[in-house]
Amino acid sequence: MSGKPYRLSDAGRLIDRSKRVSFTFDGKTVSGFAGDTVASAVMASGQRVMGRSFKYHRPRGVVGLGSEEMNALIGVGKAERHEPNLLATKVEIFDGLSAVSQNRWPSLNHDIGAINNVLGRFFSAGFYYKTFMWPQAFWKHVYEPFIRQAAGLGKAPTGRDPDVYEQVHVHCDVLIAGAGAAGLAAAEAAAASGLRVIIADENPRLGGLCDIGGGLIDGASPLEWAKTRAAALAAADNVQVLTRTTVAGHFEDNYVLMFERVGDHDPSITAAGTPRHRLWKVRAGQIIIAAGAIERPIAFANNDRPGVMLASAARGLAARYGTAAGVNGVVFTNNDDAYRTALMLKSMGVGVARIIDSRTNPESALIDQAKAAGLDISFGSSIAGVMTSKGGKQIDGIKMSPYNRGRVTNETKVDCDFVAVSGGWNPAVHLWCHNGGKIKFDHELQTYRPDRSPDGLLIAGAANGTFDVPGALAEGYAAGEQAVALLKGKAGKIAKASATQEAQAKLEPIWFAPATGAYNEGDKHFIDQQNDVVASGLELAQREGYESVEHTKRYTTLGMATDQGKTSNILGLGVVAEATGKTIPEIGTTTFRPPYTTVSFGSIAGAHVRDRFLPVRRTAIHDWHVANGADFEPVGQWRRPYCYPKAGEDRHKAVTREILAVRNKVGLLDASTLGKIEIKGPDAGEFLDRMYTNTFSTLKEGRCRYGLMANEMGFLMDDGVTVRVGPEHFIMHTTSGGADRIAGWLEEWLQTEWPDLKVFVTPVTEQWAQFAVAGPNARKVLEKLSGDIDFSAEAFPFMTMKTGTLAGMSVRAYRISFSGELSYEIGVPANQGRALWDAILEAGAAFGIEVYGTEALHVLRAEKGFIIIGDETDNTVTAIDVGLEGLVSKKKRDFIGKRSMEQSFLKMDGRKQLVGLLTEDPNYVLPDGAHALEDATGKPPQKTLGHVTSTYMSPSIGRSIAMALIFNGRARMGETLSFSLDGKVVKAKVVEPVFYDKEGARQNV
Amino acid sequence: MLVVTCPVCGVHGDETDFHCGGQAHVARPASTRPENVTDAEQRDYLFIRHNPKGLHFERWRCDRGCGKWFHAARDTVSLEFKAFYGVTELPPVELMKQATGTWAEFFKDKIKAGKAS
Amino acid sequence: MSDPVFRSALAHRNDRNSVPGLSIGLTEISDRGMIDLRGAASDKKFAGAVKDVLGVALCTKPRSSASAGDITVLWLSIDQWLITCPRSAASDLHGRLVKALDGIHSLAVDVSDMRAIFRLEGDNARVVLNKGTSVDFTDGTLGAGSVRRLRYAEIAAAVHVISDAPCVMDMYLFRSYADYAWSYLSKTAAKASEVKLFGVQVGIGV
Repeated sequence: MSGKPYRLSDAGRLIDRSKRVSFTFDGKTVSGFAGDTVASAVMASGQRVMGRSFKYHRPRGVVGLGSEEMNALIGVGKAERHEPNLLATKVEIFDGLSAVSQNRWPSLNHDIGAINNVLGRFFSAGFYYKTFMWPQAFWKHVYEPFIRQAAGLGKAPTGRDPDVYEQVHVHCDVLIAGAGAAGLAAAEAAAASGLRVIIADENPRLGGLCDIGGGLIDGASPLEWAKTRAAALAAADNVQVLTRTTVAGHFEDNYVLMFERVGDHDPSITAAGTPRHRLWKVRAGQIIIAAGAIERPIAFANNDRPGVMLASAARGLAARYGTAAGVNGVVFTNNDDAYRTALMLKSMGVGVARIIDSRTNPESALIDQAKAAGLDISFGSSIAGVMTSKGGKQIDGIKMSPYNRGRVTNETKVDCDFVAVSGGWNPAVHLWCHNGGKIKFDHELQTYRPDRSPDGLLIAGAANGTFDVPGALAEGYAAGEQAVALLKGKAGKIAKASATQEAQAKLEPIWFAPATGAYNEGDKHFIDQQNDVVASGLELAQREGYESVEHTKRYTTLGMATDQGKTSNILGLGVVAEATGKTIPEIGTTTFRPPYTTVSFGSIAGAHVRDRFLPVRRTAIHDWHVANGADFEPVGQWRRPYCYPKAGEDRHKAVTREILAVRNKVGLLDASTLGKIEIKGPDAGEFLDRMYTNTFSTLKEGRCRYGLMANEMGFLMDDGVTVRVGPEHFIMHTTSGGADRIAGWLEEWLQTEWPDLKVFVTPVTEQWAQFAVAGPNARKVLEKLSGDIDFSAEAFPFMTMKTGTLAGMSVRAYRISFSGELSYEIGVPANQGRALWDAILEAGAAFGIEVYGTEALHVLRAEKGFIIIGDETDNTVTAIDVGLEGLVSKKKRDFIGKRSMEQSFLKMDGRKQLVGLLTEDPNYVLPDGAHALEDATGKPPQKTLGHVTSTYMSPSIGRSIAMALIFNGRARMGETLSFSLDGKVVKAKVVEPVFYDKEGARQNV
Repeated sequence: MLVVTCPVCGVHGDETDFHCGGQAHVARPASTRPENVTDAEQRDYLFIRHNPKGLHFERWRCDRGCGKWFHAARDTVSLEFKAFYGVTELPPVELMKQATGTWAEFFKDKIKAGKAS
Repeated sequence: MSDPVFRSALAHRNDRNSVPGLSIGLTEISDRGMIDLRGAASDKKFAGAVKDVLGVALCTKPRSSASAGDITVLWLSIDQWLITCPRSAASDLHGRLVKALDGIHSLAVDVSDMRAIFRLEGDNARVVLNKGTSVDFTDGTLGAGSVRRLRYAEIAAAVHVISDAPCVMDMYLFRSYADYAWSYLSKTAAKASEVKLFGVQVGIGV
C-alpha cells in the first residue's frame, strides 16, 4: 500500500504514476494517474459509492471492469457537452474532466429517494402497472408528474452540441469484433492473406484479458504475445485497427455498425475540430466474433452493496490501475477462475479473508495453488447476507452458511470490506444474435453459447464458450483461416503461437444463495441492479402468471435499461428456473437486440446537422431572395419566397400589395421550381395520351395545353402545362413538389408496362430558371427588353410558346397564366437566370413591377378558381370531383386512371365536389380545413357536409373567398352552409368557384 | 440493410441506392382490353397482392444507378435475394416451381414458358 | 467566367474555390458544358451518327467513360450518356448532335446548367467520399475512367474518376443541391476529420 490504502504500490500496469491527473467527481477534486478510469481513480481515493439505484435509490458501487458495468453510471462533461449514462469503468480521465453521479438528489450521500428502499414492499414487480391505473383524472396531475420526475437516468445536455460527429462507410473482407487472444489470432491468420481486415475493440487497448486471464503463450504471459501481435497489426497495410470502437450491431448481409469514441479521452482532440465520435458503417465479407465473455454474479442477500463486485473486476482494477477493491476481501465463487483473483490480490498485498466456494469437493491446480498460498477456503458454502454500516455504504462483513437450496440454518460471520464474486462466465453472444443467430444451453458452462448462424458468422474464443487460452488461440487461428477460405483468398503463412493453461475443475451452478428467512421476505437478492430487479420480483412475476421469459422481462424490467442485462440475463433465468422447477433451456431467453452498448445521438446524426440536416434546394435566384428580405416557406426540399415584406409590412400586407401589383401593374415570380421534363419519340403523343386524362397527341406544334394526371385509382396526382415543341417532342411541366416523382412515374410506365413505346424522357427541371411575368403591363416589360420575340397579342397568342433571345439570352417563352392576368413564363438556362431576373426587374421598374411570392400566387389562382394539387385534392379526389370533367377524355381507349374512374363508387351521387364559398361576413376568412356541418348548433358528433380546401382574403374583390369540397356541392349552388367556429355559427353561401374575371378576359389581351 | 444487385447494369450496393416498388407480375388488364375490364378485375389489379411467408417476387428500381426497373425474388423470412431478373421477364423456372400458396397458383401455367436461370 | 451574365450554383459562396483546412483539394468546375443523350446503343444508325459528331464512340460498358479531345462521354445508363465539353462549345455540339440524329429515335438535351461539378483531389478524396456514400471507393475497382452514380449524403450524384495517382475525381450533382453538397464535402473533408484506412497506424498498444 502506498499512501492511500486503496492504491497499490506495485501494481497498475496501465497507469503512469509520473503523470498526475486531476478531475472532479460530483464537484469534489479527485487525483488519479494518467491511464486511470473514473472508476479506478475514484475507488483509489477511497470512495465506494458511485451512484444510486433507479427505483430504490440504494447506494451502489462499481461492479464490473468494462462495459458490463451496470451501477457506476455517470454524466461526463459540462453544459452542452454533457453526456449522461457513461460507465465510470470505461471513462478515461484527463485533467479537468468533470463527472457527476446520477439518480440521486440532493447528493450521493443523502438521497431523499432512498425512502423508496424502505417502501420497497410497495414497489414490487409490475409496480407501475399496478399503481398508476386509476382514477383517470390522476394521470395528468399526479401520476405523470411523478413518473416524469422519477423516471430516466441522467440529465440531457443543456444546449446545442458544439462538437463534430461523423460517419464513414467502409468495406472490408474480414471484420473481427474484439481483440483479445482469439481476436488477435484471427486477425493474424486473416491478415496474412493480404485481404482487407478490420479489427475493432471497445477498449483503448488490444489484448482483452491477456493480462489477467491466466495461461501462457509461447512460455510467457499472454500479454507479451498480445504486444507483439498489436505491433504487427498496426504495421500491416491491409489492416485497420480500431480501439475505443464498439461493434454495436450486426444486420443483414453482414452490415455492421461500429461506434468509435474518437475524442472523449482527450479534449485536445475535439478542440482541434476532430470528430468526438464516429459511426462506422461497415460491409464485411466475413465476420469473426471474438467479443469475449462477461462474468456473471450470484444472487445473495444485499449483493448490491458497494464493495460487492465481479471477481474479474477486483482482479483487473488491481492489475491494471493498482486500485484495490478494499483492504480485506472475500471471494465467493462456483468456479476456478475466481481463484485467480484471490491469488493475484494476495500477491499484491490485498487481504483475502476467505474463498467461499459453493462446490463441495472440487480439485484443480488453481485450488492447490490457493491452498499453497495459505488462502482459507470454505467449500460447499455460500454467502447468506452482507453486513453493512453507514446506511449500506460500508461493508463490515458477510454471513457465510453451508450452501443448500433451503433455508439457512447456521451462519458464520466473516469480516471483510469487499466481496469478489463469480458465478461463471457468459459468452458475449449479442452480436451473434442480432441478426437471428441461434444459441443453445451448455450444461457444462451453465450458460447459452452460439449454435447456428443464418449469416455464416464465425465465432472464436470466450464468445464461443471457449474460456481457456489454448482453446481461444486455436479457434482464433481457425476462424481467421476459415474466413480467408470462404472468401476464396490465399492463405498466408504464419508462425502460430502455442499456449498452455492449467486444467480447471468443473463449474457447478449456483444462482440463488439463500438468506436467513425465506427469500421472498426480508433482504433483497438483486438480479438486475440497474433496474432494481430482485429475485422475489421474478418469483412474484411467475406467480402472477408472467411465465414466458419475454413477459417476465417486461413485467419486471429485467435486462432492460442501458446494460441490457449483460450481467443479469442468465442469472435471472437461473433464478426463474429454480423458482419454477424448470431447466433454463425450458425457459428460453429473451432477444438480444442492437446496439451492444449505447451509441451516441451525435454519431447517429453525423455530419447531418445545421445546414446539412436536410438538403435545401436553391433556385438560381435564391440569394437575391435572401438579400431582398424574402420570407421563405418550404416547398418540398426547396425554399420558396412566401412573400417579400417591405419595412413596416407584415405577411398579410405584403401579400396584399403583391397581389394588387399583379392585378393592376405587373409582377415577377420565381417559378424555377416547377418540374420540367423533355419527352421525345415517335410514340410521345400516344404516351402522353396514356399518362394524362386529356388528349395531347392532337396538340399542335408551338401550342401549350393544361393537363391533368390521375393515378391508377383515378385520383388526381399532378397537373401542369405541356407544350409541343416538335413533331415528336414535348416539354412537360409538373408541380414543384411532383417534379421528381412524375419523371420517375413516366419512366416506370415506359419501362414496365409499355416497353414497346418509343419514347425517351429526360427531366430537365434544374436546367432552367423560369419566371412568371404577370399583369396588365407584362407585355410592355418584355417588349422593353431587347430580343427577337414578338410579344404582341397577334403574334404570340394565349397558350402558345416561342423560343428566341431576350436581353441577350436564349430563352423559352410560354404565354400561360396561373393568375388570370396577361402572363408569360420565361425560361432561361439556370446560370443566366439571375441576369435575366435583374434585367426584367430593371425593365419593369417603369411599369411598377413587384416581385411576388407563393402566397400571392395561391391567392391569385384561387380568385380564378384554379385548383392546386394537394390543396383541392388529397388522393381521393377525381377530375370530375373538382369540376374538370371536360379534361377527362371520353374518346381515348385507355389512360392511367380511366378504368378506375368508371367504377361505380366513383360515379355515384354524394361525392364531394368542388365549390366556392362566400361567407356572410365578407371580412371573415374561414379557417383552412373547416367542416360545414348539417347542424352547426347541435352537439357533437355532427355529420360533416365537407371541408374548406383553400381560403383567403381576396384583395382583388375586396372580400374573403374560399374553395371547398362539399357533398353534392354542385347541386347546392346558392345554398347557405353553416360552420361552427370560435363558438359561433358562421354562414357561407355556395357559389361557383371562380371569383374574379369569370369570363377570362384579362388573360386574353 | 440488404445488398441488392441490378441485373441491368450489374451494380451491387446498399438497398438505399435502390427503390422497392412492391409486388411483381401484376398484370394491368386495361393495357390489353380496356373496354372489357370488370370492376372485380380492376379491384384485384389495384389491391389484391400475394403476401407469402417465404419466396416472394418484387419490383425494384436501380434508383441511384442506371434508373432501370427489374424484378427480384426474395425470401420474406430470411430476407435473402434468390434471383434478379428483367422487368419484362418471368422468374427462373426453378423459382417458379419453388413458389408456394397463391404464387404457386399464379405460376402454374407459366412454368412451361419460363427459362432456367 | 468572363461572361457577365453567368452565375454558377456556388456564386453566393465566397469559399467556392478555397475552403480552408481541408485534407483534399475541392474546387468548383463551372466552365464545362453538358449534354444529356438518350438512345439505343444497339441502334447502329444512332451509335454511328453520335460517333461521327463526337469523334468517339459511346461507351457501352456500365460505369465507364470515353474521351476524344475535349469531349468526354460518361455512361449514365444503358441508354443514357452525359457528354461533357467546354461550356462555350456545348450549344454548337448540341446543335450538331440534334441535326445528325434527325429521324433517329433519340433525345439530346443541352443540360449545361442543370448540374454543378466539384473537383476532388488528393489521396484522402476517396475516404472523404465514403463519408457520404456506401459505394466502396477504396477497394480499387473504381479506377481512372470509372463513372459511378450513387446516393451521396441525401442526394443523387455521380462521380467520374479522372485519374488514380494523383487521385482526381469530379462529382456531378443537381444544381439546386450545390450549396448542400459543398457544405457536406467541406465538413467531412476537414483535415481534423481525416481518416486513414488500412495503413500503418501509431498508438496501438495493449
